[in-house]
Amino acid sequence: MRAHAEQAYPNECCGAMLGRIGSGTKLVQRAVALDNAYAGSQKARYEIRTEDLLEADLLARRDGLDLIGIYHSHPDCDAYFSRTDLQNSCPWYSFVVMSIRSGRFDHATSWLPNPEQTAAEPEQIVYPEEAACPES
Amino acid sequence: MPRILIPTPLRQYAGNLDSVELNGKTVGELLGALTAEYDELRRHLYTGEGKLRSFVNIYVNDEDIRHLDKEATSVAEADTISIVPSIAGGR
Repeated sequence: MRAHAEQAYPNECCGAMLGRIGSGTKLVQRAVALDNAYAGSQKARYEIRTEDLLEADLLARRDGLDLIGIYHSHPDCDAYFSRTDLQNSCPWYSFVVMSIRSGRFDHATSWLPNPEQTAAEPEQIVYPEEAACPES
Repeated sequence: MPRILIPTPLRQYAGNLDSVELNGKTVGELLGALTAEYDELRRHLYTGEGKLRSFVNIYVNDEDIRHLDKEATSVAEADTISIVPSIAGGR
């Protein structure tokens, strides 16, 4: 996901996260890069074609995984969940936003919008090395 | 019977099933049967006025019903119906 976001810079990238939902956790096991289909400048906008998302969902089902979230990048700004994000995204999934500064990954956040699309709650991100070494 | 694929986040409202087979001759009938069986799904798919939410897209196999007959689109026994959300955004 980080490599995809850096490669897409200065444009926004987008993709699907496949994995598993457990009790209170979501485990991302595979990232599927999707085409940013936004027709205007992609430096500040992204759009996923519904047929591409359908294909990602069918891929997940074929491989025994679940489509659990969406990721995209914010070039040269923080990884907040913007009003544009909130108003244009289906509030069913987790949304990981990556801040890319001068072409390099800076930080990421994850958000869960409410069903009314009026606010999004942050979700904690645990990276694999942290999960493997919780004491360090 | 036609099969409806349930998106991951909505399975909690559909008996934790990833797909459901229901009787119906049109997309509208099938979605009606689905929300009758699983009432909690209704508010996630429909507005309070009973219209499909703006970000909800329905596919019959690989065809968006907006390019067919919308909710009056007929459905055959072997068809698969997918519920696909619109996703967009930006900083």
